[in-house]
Order: sequence, then C-alpha cells, then structure tokens
Amino acid sequence: MMDWLTLMIFSPLIGILILSVQSAERKTVSLTGILATVLPLLLSLVVYAQFHGGGNLGVSHGWINFGGGMFQANYELGIDGFSLLLILLTTIVSTLSASVAAAQIKQGLKAYFLWFLILEIGMLGVFTAENLILFFIFFEITLVPMFFLIGRWGFVEREKAAYSFLIYNGLGSAILLILFAAIFAKTGTTNIEELKAIMASSEAVSEEFRYGSMLALLVAFGVKLPIVPLHTWMVRVHVHAPIAVVMIHAGILLKIGAYGLINFGLGIFGDQFAKVAPFIAILGLINLLYGAFLAFVQNELKSVFAYSSVSHMGIVLLGVAAMNEAGIQGAIFQTLSHGLIAALLFLLVGIIHQRTHTTKLSSLGGLAKRMPLAAGFLLAAAMASLGLPGMSGFVSEFMAFLGLFETMPWIAAIGTLGIIMTAVYILRAVLGVTYGKTIKAFTGMYDLTRIEMIPAAALLALIVLIGIYPAIITHTLQLTLESIMPGIGG
Amino acid sequence: MLENAWLIPLFPLLSFLLLLFFGKQWKEMSSHVGIGFTGVSFLLSVIVLFTQMANGSGGAEMVWLTIGQLEFRFGVVVTPLNALMLVIVSLVSFLVHIYSKGYMHSDERLTTFYSYLGLFTFAMLALVISPNLLQLYIFWELVGVGSFLLIGFYFYKEEAKAAAKKAFIMTRIGDVGLLIGMILLFWQVGSLEFNDIFTAVGGGEVPEGLLTLIAILIFVGAVGKSGQFPLHTWLPDAMEGPTPVSALIHAATMVAAGVYLVAALFPVFEASPAAMTVVAVVGGFTAIFAATIGLVQTDIKRVLAYSTVSQLGYMMMALGAAGYVAGVFHLMTHAFFKALLFLAAGSVIHAVHNQNIEKMGGLWTKMRITGPVFLIGTLAISGVPLFSGFFSKDEILLATWYDGRYGLFIIGLVAAFFTAFYMFRLFFMVFTGEHRSEVTEVRESPRSMTIPMVVLAFLAAFSGYINTPWFGTFLGDWLAGDSEFLPFEHHEGPVWVMMAASLIAFAGIGLAYLIYYKKSLQRDFLSSHMPATYTLVFNKYFIDEFYQYTVEYAARAVGYLGSFIEKYIVEVIVAAVSGVTRAAGSLGSKLQSGQVQTYGAIAFIGLAILVFLVVWTGGYL
Repeated sequence: MMDWLTLMIFSPLIGILILSVQSAERKTVSLTGILATVLPLLLSLVVYAQFHGGGNLGVSHGWINFGGGMFQANYELGIDGFSLLLILLTTIVSTLSASVAAAQIKQGLKAYFLWFLILEIGMLGVFTAENLILFFIFFEITLVPMFFLIGRWGFVEREKAAYSFLIYNGLGSAILLILFAAIFAKTGTTNIEELKAIMASSEAVSEEFRYGSMLALLVAFGVKLPIVPLHTWMVRVHVHAPIAVVMIHAGILLKIGAYGLINFGLGIFGDQFAKVAPFIAILGLINLLYGAFLAFVQNELKSVFAYSSVSHMGIVLLGVAAMNEAGIQGAIFQTLSHGLIAALLFLLVGIIHQRTHTTKLSSLGGLAKRMPLAAGFLLAAAMASLGLPGMSGFVSEFMAFLGLFETMPWIAAIGTLGIIMTAVYILRAVLGVTYGKTIKAFTGMYDLTRIEMIPAAALLALIVLIGIYPAIITHTLQLTLESIMPGIGG
Repeated sequence: MLENAWLIPLFPLLSFLLLLFFGKQWKEMSSHVGIGFTGVSFLLSVIVLFTQMANGSGGAEMVWLTIGQLEFRFGVVVTPLNALMLVIVSLVSFLVHIYSKGYMHSDERLTTFYSYLGLFTFAMLALVISPNLLQLYIFWELVGVGSFLLIGFYFYKEEAKAAAKKAFIMTRIGDVGLLIGMILLFWQVGSLEFNDIFTAVGGGEVPEGLLTLIAILIFVGAVGKSGQFPLHTWLPDAMEGPTPVSALIHAATMVAAGVYLVAALFPVFEASPAAMTVVAVVGGFTAIFAATIGLVQTDIKRVLAYSTVSQLGYMMMALGAAGYVAGVFHLMTHAFFKALLFLAAGSVIHAVHNQNIEKMGGLWTKMRITGPVFLIGTLAISGVPLFSGFFSKDEILLATWYDGRYGLFIIGLVAAFFTAFYMFRLFFMVFTGEHRSEVTEVRESPRSMTIPMVVLAFLAAFSGYINTPWFGTFLGDWLAGDSEFLPFEHHEGPVWVMMAASLIAFAGIGLAYLIYYKKSLQRDFLSSHMPATYTLVFNKYFIDEFYQYTVEYAARAVGYLGSFIEKYIVEVIVAAVSGVTRAAGSLGSKLQSGQVQTYGAIAFIGLAILVFLVVWTGGYL
C-alpha cells in the first residue's frame, strides 16, 4: 500500500532539492517554484480520490520512544472530510500564490521559493497529523518560513510585522506546547483519536483539567483565527506582507485556528465546549461587528480586507458556538469559503498595487474604466465576500445563522447587523476603487493579462461552484460531521 | 410541461453567460441575442400559463443542500400567481430588450448592458417560480444584484455609484428582516416549502405571537424591495440607471417582488391580524406620502419613481386589507402602464436630451406616437373609467371598504386624487404649451422603441377587462380558485365607490388642466402660500438627510470608536505584554554574567523548585 499522505506532505522537498542545486536564473526558478507546488496539488487529488474510493489512508509508525515505553510518540497521519478539504484548499491556493510570487517578487526569488515550499510542508502536515506532537512540529514549521517571508519580502513596515507575527504566534504555540505536555502527562497518549475516546468516557481526568485545556486551546488557536483582541498582529501581516504571502496567510494559515478549534476544542473537549458556547458566541459577535465597523473606517484597501477577515472569522465562531449540525457545517463552509475569497481579494489587490503603486482609497477611483476585467473580478469577489447567494459565502453564512438561531436567537439577531455592515464596508471600499471618477491617471495601466486571469478565474469558479452546488463540499464532509456530532451530545 | 418550467429562466441565463464570455466581439449582434432568448422565455411562459389553466398547478424539485437530517430543495412550481408573474415579467422584459436596441444603440457598452439585463431577467423569472422560501430568497438577492449593476451602469458618474450603493444597502436592510423571518419560520415548521408552511400555519402549529413577528420580519424584506416607507429612499435615486432599466426593474418587475412576496405568503399574513394591519397601514401611508412628493418634483423620471412608490403602497394596502386579488390585479395593470410611462418618458428624454419637465413642452405635435401612448398610460394610472387602472384601483378601494378600514379607504381616495393631478401635470408640462427644449429639431423615436410602447399601451388600456364587475371576475376566480389556502370573496361593490373613484380622478385631472393647460390658476400656489410645507415636500421630507445625520454618522462614529479602542487600549496592552517579555529577557541576559557561582545558585534554586513541584503534585509533571 502506498503511503500517499507522507508522499503528499513531503513532496515539496523535491522542489527544494532541485531549487537548491539550480542556477538562480529567474525564469527557471519561477518555473521550478510553480511546478514544485503542482506536485502536491496532484497528490492531494489522488488523496481525494482515495478517500472517496474508501481506501484506508491512515499511517502509523513507531517514532520517538524512550524510557522503555514511558514516552512514546508515533508518526501518525490520517484525514477526515474537513482536513481533506483544507488540504485541497492548501494545495490549490499554494499553486496560485506561487504563480503570483513568480510575477511580483522582485528579488531573491529562489530563497523565497525555498521558504515557501517549507511553509507548504508545514501546512500540509498540520492538517494531516493525527498526533499532538507531530501536529505541534508541523505547526512550528509554518512559523519560521512565514517570519522570513514577511520580514524579507514585505512592504514598508515588514520587519515590525514579522516580529509581531512571531511574538503572537510564538506565545500561542508556547501555550500549545505546555498544554500538549500536560495532556500527555495526564493521559499518557498524544494520539488524537485515543484522546477523544479518553475524554469522552474516562473519569481519570478532572473536570477542571478539561476546562483548563479547552480554554488554553481557545487562546492558542484564538491567536491564529484571530479572536479579537488578539488580532492586531494579523492586520499588520495583511497590510505589510507580500501579496502572495497574504494569499496564503488569509487563505490558509488563519484556517489552522478554525481547524484547531473545531478538531481539538470541539472534537476532544465537546462537553466543556458546549458549556462555554454562549461565551464563544459572544466572542464571535464581537469579531463580526468589531471587524466590520473597523473595516468601514479604514482608508487603505488592504486594511479593509484585513478587518474583513476578522469579521468573517466571527461567523466561524458563531457557527461553532451554535453546537448543532447546521452551525458547525456553516463554520466549516465559512473556513473554506473565506480561504478562497480572501485569496482572490488579495490577488486582485496585488494586481492593482502593481499597476498603481498604491492601495490608498483616497488615490484610487474609477479603475473600471482602464481595467474593466480587474474591476469586474474585484466586484465579483466583493459580492462573494458580502455573502451573495450563488457564491460560497452565502451558503456558509446561511447555515451558521440557521444553526445559531436555533440555539441562541438573540445573539444571532444582533449578528445579522454584521450582514448589513459587510455590504456597507465592502461596497464603500470596492466601489470607491472601481466606480466613480478617475482620481489619478496612472501611467502604464493595463488590464489583467491572460496569465493573471488564470488564478483569478480559477478561484472565482470554485467560489461559484460551491455556491451553486454545495453538495460538492457536503459530500466530503458528511462522515466528519457524523463523528463530531455524537461527541457533543447533539 | 410544468415540470420543465425551469427552461423559462434558463434562456435569459444563457443570454447573460454568452454575452459575458463571448459578447465583446459581437457588438450590435448582442442585442439580437438578448431579444431572441428573452422572446423564447416569453413564448414558454405563455405556454405554461395556458397549461396551468387547462391542467392545474404542478412543478418539480430536487435536493440542493443537506445538513444532517435537514434538506433544502430547489425546483419550480407553477400556480396561477406564478404563471401570471411569469408572463408579466417575461413580456415586459422582452419589450424592454427590444426598446433598448433603439435607446442604447450608441452606447459602447451595449453588450454589457444586455448581459446584465439577461442576468436580471433570469433571476426575476427564477424568483417567481420558486417553490420554497430559501430559493425565493436566493433569487431575491440576485435580482438585487441585477438592479445594482444596472443602476450603476454609468459607473463613471458619481451619482450612479452612490445610487447603486444606496439601492444595495437599503434593500439589504430589508433582506435581513426576510432572512431572520425565514429562519424563525424554518425552526417552527421544519421546512421552507410553501405548501408545508401553509399547512403548518393553517393547522395552528405556529404560536400566534411568533407568527406575527415572522410575518412582520418577512414584510420588512418586502418593504426594502418594494420601496415602502421608511426604506423607500433608494428607489427614486435608482433613476440614475438607463431608462429602459427603470421601466423593467424599478417599475414593472423587481420592485413588485415585495408585493409578490406578501401575496405568495398570503396565508401566513392572513393568519395574523396584527401583521395584516401593519401591511395595510405601511402601504396606505406610503401611497399618500410618496404621492405628495410626486406633486412637486420636476424631473420626469423622479415623478414616475415616486408614483411607483405610491402605487406599490396601494398594492400593499390592498393585500393588508385582505384584498389578495385586488393587490395582484393592480400589480399586473401597474406593470403595464408604468412600464409604458417609463418607456415613453425614455422616448422623450431620447428626443430632448433632458429630464427636466420645465425644459420640455409642446411635444404632442412632434412625437405622434409617444404623445398618445403616454396619454393612455396617464389615463390608466389616473383611474379614468374604462382604462385598466380604473378596475384595479376600484378593487383596492372596495377591499379596504369591506375590510372595515375606512381611514385607509379615504387615504386611498386622496392618493388617487394626487395621482391623477401629478400625472396630468406631467402630461401637460411635457406635451402641451410652448416648446421650451434646447433641442429645436425634436424627432419621434425609432420603431424599435415605439413598437414596444404601442404593445404596452394596448395592455394598459384593455388588460383591466379580465377582472371587472361587469363582464366577470375571471382573474379573481382563477387566482384563488384552486388553492385551499386562499379564500376569495366577491365584493359586489356599491356603485357609489366606483363613482367616487371616477369623480376623484376627474377632479385631479381638472385641477391639473386648469393650472398647467389653461393656466387660469396660479402655478406657484403651494410654494408662495405655504413655503415651509413646499420646502418640506420638495426636499422629500428631508428623510435622506435624516438618515445621513443619524444612521450613517452613527456607524462611522462606532467605527472611529473602534479604531480608538484598537489604538489606545488593545495596542497598549500588547505593548505592555511585550514590554514584560522584553524585561524578562534582559533579566535573563543579566544572569548570564559568566560568574560560575551565580550559575550554581540558580541551578540549585531551580532544582529545589522542581523537587518541590514533583512532591507537591504527587509525581506528575
């Protein structure tokens, strides 16, 4: 039997090896860099086919073992519907991001791709690990490349953003490490499936410990998601990191927060999670509205979309807090949908910045005249972001609110204010840029090129596909939900 | 045939997609694509209408979204109401497609225009054949996007940008009401299929208080879409869009979707008397409120826009007064005569390149087709006997009378007076008197524009005869006929109501005649005698300004408050935390002094703490 998961996770290594012996000539580096991300993309499709073909993809090998079995951690990989979808999101957005990087990264492209491919290994590993130690290692692997990618290739305040990223995420992962150590000390295992079983039945672990662990998870993954007020680093990264990296960051890395909350918080500590669900719902409400109102007063396109991400992650929290199938499925849909939409938005922002060298709202306007295609795509992405039916965002928002109205109608009712505010801030920013009078005549403006059309059209097609035919997601997700739901007694 | 009714929206969708992807090379051809595909839709709609009449209702469905055990479906259903709406929408859309060929011929973005029209027509047709509330909501939002894109068609104009944004946001406020109402209803009924909802409501499964809340929330959606007070302000601004769009979307079809929604969910509203009163009162108030604004506007399209708001209020009032047939009947006649009026207004604008009625005048002799058809539309909307509007308006007045809502009955009469007055004011200002336009050579519009107007004029004149107290109430019998959920009572109306309505119409026309044709009464009567009232009405009761100073500024203030919190509270805490970390770091680096004694001391203290912890926790850690 082929170990497809290991093969997929570490397949970017091939690109790394080739890059490191290759000449630094720009064309070859670009080509290798992009092709190196196509390989995991193809392998992830194989994994998808295997998953639906009923093949057993799980892997378990003895790995770290000392003290005569006292400390034992296995190399364990496995996927469920949710992680499979996140893996596909990762491989797709990585390839698109690599193509953007090839066009927009001016210097040190080779080093960029080396870091980028390491980052991809980390991301794929995070969504595949079935073991806390392994998860933690992959989680850390994502941090270091990100630090350098932001710090070296970012915009003006790149170094500050990189440090801000490192401090917050470092604190988050320190909490994770302590927590994982404590869990191991209490239960003697780091296997996630075993932990679920232990936490569901055994009396060995005290209630206080479970609550403590759950709250620690909330903080650790809350940094990543991010939950207000732990979000400032993320806004900085959105604004100052290179666009190709922001596509990955907003599209995938933030999703680790949602994945961790749902998979560990809800999956392992379901009962405790249910008890604090109202608190989580309020956090979600704050995210949704705080992000929306701040996005409304920003003067710069990237910060608008950064706060928009904060706001949209509020929907994830609200959906999860609903603690029913509709809500959780909504949260998962929102995770995937926002990944695609954020990637598309930042792709377009990058193109606009490349043409105009600015993202200030006050100096942009009337772009639809000179760049009708780019403006059209931006408008479509805006519509997706504000939850227009027929696009992925609507399905997720509808399900999250459907779920929340069943369990917490008042919080849900206040939350609908966010639906209005999203339309307000998105249209203010996007129409401000594309419609109206041309404010400055930029020289050398040209519309989307054929090459740029490919990633934009691919992302938009996926967004529309999910919006029109959500079964394409639910089909993969069904089994996962069935395994989460009994855990929370829903 | 009925289960294949999904073909009807499919053709405009194809038109949209073809033009979007391949249209750039086609230029002139794109109008033919649009006209052809919509024409097919219209033919299919007519076939569906006759099939429904012959064989009764039907449809087809499939599962769209599953959530655990919950299922949401997609499909089509054809009932009398839906079949009627299909024909109205596809016909008006078809005519507007033809008209636009002439009106928009010189626009370089003709292809884009036709593709947007296709998108809108698709969404609107799909909306009216939805068998459940979720599907209706989905297309409800999509027609909103079609409207948004077309209002903002001249995107480089600041006014168009602002109007498009406003239309989207104002209707979205209403949509959120609809969304909440829909979700609450789902958790009560367990399904969003219309039939399941009606069965549950009819069986008393939904507590009455909650049902009232749900009905009112759904009505909020209708208020947004149909431009009812207090969410009406976007509709007059929507006139920034090209005139054919105003005729199709902002007169005949989309803005009537709110009325359609209340009609489609009529059993839900009927089960709650409180909700019915809300609908009737909001409708009645809007009818008279918008009519007063229409009295003093000088932009031909704005007058028609306020007239639309007012007439939609009329329809809502009818529905709220249990006049199901009256509301739907007026929806139909209004679609014809208002689309006609807008197209005729477009023809005038096309000829004189201006929208201000002060700069028109004397066009009757120069526009030998536009003039008469505009007159027919004006007679119809004014409720002059024998024209379509007369019969439907009469039905509405009767419905309010029989429902015991005498206050609304009087409001209806007064609004009818205003309507007749402002419409004839418009007619006399535009078509009679001396020529005031800067364009000296005024020519009649091309045939692609006049033919659709003539067709609509025919309908505006005669479509009322399908439901009259004299020849039979075919429409009413058919609409409410085969549904177990819709009670239909014949109102054998007292003749005096009809007489009163006619007299009111003639009084309004007469007053307009004296002021604007004979000029025997002063024009500036209102502005000179009651300047404060005039200013108030002319500025649309300052509602836009009110919203700006309250809602808009409040939202911005909250945003700035958030920024303040972000900057001075969140960031300061972050700085404090990182400061502590840094202090700990520098403390740590001080300890690395190179003195072995210090190291030894620290190692010992550390070991002691560890041992203590191990003992204290009983071996863990």
